Amino acid sequence: MRRRRFLRGALGAAGAAAAASAAGGCGNLHSSDPDVLTFMFRGSTEERDVFAKAVELFTKKTGHRVDLISTSADQYATKLQTAILGNSTPDVFYLEPPRTMAYVTNGVLADISEYVDATDLPVDDVWPGGMNLYRFDGEQIGKGPLYAMPKDVGPFSFGYNKTLFEKLGVEPPDPDVPLSWEEFLDRCKDLTRERDGKPVSWGTSVNIGAELHSYAWSNGADWVDPTARTVTVDTPEFAEALQYVVDLREKHEVTPSINETEGLDGYQRWLRGQIGFFPVAPWDLTLYRTLDFEFDLCPYPAGKSGESATNIGSLGIGVSSKSRRPDRAAQLAMFLSCDPDAQDIIVGQGQTIPNTRTRAKEWVKDTSIEPQNKQEYVDIVEDYGRFVPNARTYTPEWLDTFFTNIQPVVEGRADVGEYLSSTQATMQSFLDEGYDQLRIDQEANS
Amino acid sequence: MSAASTSPPTTVERPANVGARAGTGADRRATRRPGRGRLTRPERFWGRIFIAPPVLGFALFALAPLLFSCYAAFTNWNGLSSPVFAGLTNFRTMAADPQFWQSLWNTVVMMIGIPIGLAISLALAIALNRRMPGRAAFRVIYYLPGVSSVAAISILWQWALNGDFGLVNELLGMVGIDGPNWLVEKQWVKPALILMGVWKGLGFSTLLYLAALQSVPRNLLEAAMLDGAGAWRRFRHVTAPMLSPVTFFLVVTGIIGGAQMFAEVNIMTPTGGPEFGSATIVWYIWQQGFQNLQLGYATAMSLVLGALIFLVTAIQFYLNSRNVFTVE
Repeated sequence: MRRRRFLRGALGAAGAAAAASAAGGCGNLHSSDPDVLTFMFRGSTEERDVFAKAVELFTKKTGHRVDLISTSADQYATKLQTAILGNSTPDVFYLEPPRTMAYVTNGVLADISEYVDATDLPVDDVWPGGMNLYRFDGEQIGKGPLYAMPKDVGPFSFGYNKTLFEKLGVEPPDPDVPLSWEEFLDRCKDLTRERDGKPVSWGTSVNIGAELHSYAWSNGADWVDPTARTVTVDTPEFAEALQYVVDLREKHEVTPSINETEGLDGYQRWLRGQIGFFPVAPWDLTLYRTLDFEFDLCPYPAGKSGESATNIGSLGIGVSSKSRRPDRAAQLAMFLSCDPDAQDIIVGQGQTIPNTRTRAKEWVKDTSIEPQNKQEYVDIVEDYGRFVPNARTYTPEWLDTFFTNIQPVVEGRADVGEYLSSTQATMQSFLDEGYDQLRIDQEANS
Repeated sequence: MSAASTSPPTTVERPANVGARAGTGADRRATRRPGRGRLTRPERFWGRIFIAPPVLGFALFALAPLLFSCYAAFTNWNGLSSPVFAGLTNFRTMAADPQFWQSLWNTVVMMIGIPIGLAISLALAIALNRRMPGRAAFRVIYYLPGVSSVAAISILWQWALNGDFGLVNELLGMVGIDGPNWLVEKQWVKPALILMGVWKGLGFSTLLYLAALQSVPRNLLEAAMLDGAGAWRRFRHVTAPMLSPVTFFLVVTGIIGGAQMFAEVNIMTPTGGPEFGSATIVWYIWQQGFQNLQLGYATAMSLVLGALIFLVTAIQFYLNSRNVFTVE
């Protein structure tokens, strides 16, 4: 009898534990209460705290409860993909632009156009470029219904160490007029100094994955044609741009060498005040403001086209097509994107530039906020910035493959022209496969 | 050995004069039926209940996914919508995919660390098997990497392998060797990962070898010594054969584990290393499945990998069965 009771008890406990763990597992990404939204997002600890505060404000203003699911940046894509696979997509989630076409085609994202049209929030004041990045008509990005609100737009601006320029007596760049490549190289040479035979400062440090866009675009080259169907990296303009970047290190030695960047990479050397020119993106401002040197923004140097160019990053806030409260979910997405009080919280921490034009104009004029030339950010977003090309294609693999085998070129061990010619074919086949996949998925979901 | 221990208590306790007379209902329930084992019905019931969770767990989390993956491997599936049957397309793509072959090759090359690790572990185990001061402390130190997080170890080694300030190059510098940029140069990234893998697995292998060494019967070694066998011959003909089951176990688990190498590659070389030099097959499967939304293709590669592991393990078992060593 005692044994039977024990067995029953043990079985009951095991069952309860299994049920609890199963319920707990479900509750992670999909709330059992249909009135409670789930919001999945990513970022640094500071960024997560900022958005948690903004969500708290949303709950206070609307009375709608929100469960937060946050991850580190490197785990986010895998975790979201797993949630979608497990049919427990969060109601609201960060959307990486290269995923927009696939998520729309496969019915993961809800069309939020009707909610955006009906809201009282200042959605019309949000950067149009940022909004267009999340429109998709089934063929092309930038047209059709809206599937996400931009959480931010991230102008990838160039900047310089004012203190180092002053210390070395080098003329600082004009805040509005871009340097030509020749002028830029001369400044870099002036900034590259040695002490006791060891380099102590460099003109710049190029992160090829993040910055090649700027050099290629400003030289009149592009990754793909305007329809995003043909890879165009095998043009003389593109080759010239890549060669210029390679020569900065291999020929002119105005950037840290491979060995030197392995010890302390360009970013760390910039933080130590050893680099003259370096990218200054908004998400780095919080840290940069704590540095013991002054910095400011300037346009990227201009190649053959005579015009500066750079890329704009962005993250969207999308709504699941399976959300049981799509109205509330869309409301949360819009709130985080453009509610003035939410923007106060988000921009106040210096993680992003204001998401609305009106507020951005006030922000630019505020001289108490570093850097002084914040107008450069606005110019990039409104005028000359471009979105990274894989945001306009179905899969990002074609662009990734460009950087997979580029190391010998960057180190000067492989010929730029030959590399571009051979890699163009590979990239094109991946791009074509992406469009084939789009057709297959469209048929499967039609 | 008593009869009671080999028969169920109910049959032993039955009075001898009962004979063929039908017992009570309780007796009948308790009586063993031919072919139904030695358990009573309630015991069988509760037994089944208790083995149900692992069986269900296996069916739910291993068998069902395996069966599904056998289907998914033949589909075009992006993980966002339903799979679409695509025949052998994924396998044809695989055969022509240079990155698949390179990642497979990288994985095989990195298994060179298995024999190296075993040799070092055995040497360490022999050293630790001797009576020497601080023996317990050494055992703990060698085993520590085995219980540490792979992520933490990977980050630690990323620093240790740093080209300029890394510990490895500092040590090489002491003997006049100018160390390479381990994780940046294509020809050095695999040796770097092998080095880390050997270090990480050393404690576990050493511990098993140590246990095996301590279980070698002393009388066999003494008999060999009386027969005039020197230290090497005693090791070669007595100790080494006695260690062969452990070696077999370590080789099998090492190959299975090596074929699944992922976390350290993803942390130390997040883009697959210079010119895809450190991308392992599992890393490539993950990249295709979760980064490029090609879960059908990723599943097909997983199946091929599973089949390869099965094949290699089966060959190992076959070879091992021909070299069985037992002590009567």
